[in-house]
Amino acid sequence: MSTTTAPSQTRNTVYVAVFAAMIAAMGLVPPITLGVIPVPITLQTLGVMLAGAMLGPWRGSLASLVVIVLSVAGLPLLAGGRGGLGVLLGPTGGYLVGWFFGSLVIGALFKYWVIRMQSKLLQLVSGLVATILGGIVVIYLFGVPWTAVVTGLDLKTSLVGSLAFLPGDLLKAVVATLVALTVHRSYRGLLK
Amino acid sequence: MIAAKNTSWLSRTPAGWKFGTLLAISISLYLISSWQVLLALLLVSIATLVSARVDFKQLRMPLVTLAAILAVVLILLGIQTGWLNATIAVLRLLTMCIFAYSVSLTTSFDAMLELFQKVASPLRVLGANPAQIALALSMAIRFIPELKRVYLEVREAQHARGLGNNPLAVSVPLVIRSLKIADETAEALDARGYDSAPARHHRL
Repeated sequence: MSTTTAPSQTRNTVYVAVFAAMIAAMGLVPPITLGVIPVPITLQTLGVMLAGAMLGPWRGSLASLVVIVLSVAGLPLLAGGRGGLGVLLGPTGGYLVGWFFGSLVIGALFKYWVIRMQSKLLQLVSGLVATILGGIVVIYLFGVPWTAVVTGLDLKTSLVGSLAFLPGDLLKAVVATLVALTVHRSYRGLLK
Repeated sequence: MIAAKNTSWLSRTPAGWKFGTLLAISISLYLISSWQVLLALLLVSIATLVSARVDFKQLRMPLVTLAAILAVVLILLGIQTGWLNATIAVLRLLTMCIFAYSVSLTTSFDAMLELFQKVASPLRVLGANPAQIALALSMAIRFIPELKRVYLEVREAQHARGLGNNPLAVSVPLVIRSLKIADETAEALDARGYDSAPARHHRL
């Protein structure tokens, strides 16, 4: 199923809303415990990565923004049923803000770079670079200094603390890349 | 966290005032480095929370999470830079979060969204369409239960195939079904002639 005509504004808005709901749903469902990693991980940041990789920079980042706005306004959408102004002001607020820019970067890289690669291998490699850059580097770039500023810890300690989530996040980057490339093959034209 | 039925003075205060005050308090907390003043402000924040007659059941989980984070911060910071510094940082964070909880628990979700839309209204100059923003927010809320149901269904189905813990086997169908839901909804809206584009863009 592919859309050949330019998507209407309403269609874009619906995509944003549905992917925002998907990100939210991934945080509401009890987390999956994977054999390789002892801590249970929620798939919420996977949703953030997928929104960018599937919908491109604008629609993807707006989907993340909708989740941020709804949860800061009070809906308990974040993993563990968190929500409200305290989430933004608290030590982990930077990661939440980083979602917007993370999905923006992933979306831009997928739209203008990854999806234009000729071979499957190059798509896989560039896709991994995109999801790691946007979904990990960019999000941590907001999250780590935010924690440092809010708590008074130095940047190094804040960075070391965030490394506990790195294995899970790397795994999510791999999954997001594989899922996005698989779905783009059957759903062409999403990033046009 | 959303305001439950609440008739306290704080819930009658307009959301914009509460939000502005919270912002001002948060900034000034970082400018204060005397533990005595911070302790006094913590007591003020607790008094605010109590006088707002919030539902303390809603606070249990956030407070447990916050306490865990604060304990880690206290120990790390205490070892690194001394216990006075650590106490100041913890007092500051706790005070800020309690003020934030007071605002969240006395402001209805609608009032909060309305405020956000007011704050975002200057974006109109950049081409943002308020009708589309409102549509996106309300539609996202409406789709959350549906997407949650789809997610659980997919997980259950893959579990039956022995793939329940395989994130790839769960995510691919979830994304495809999300796209299908979006396409069907967009078609339904188009078929009913829903058009939230600004008047000057009306197609003839």
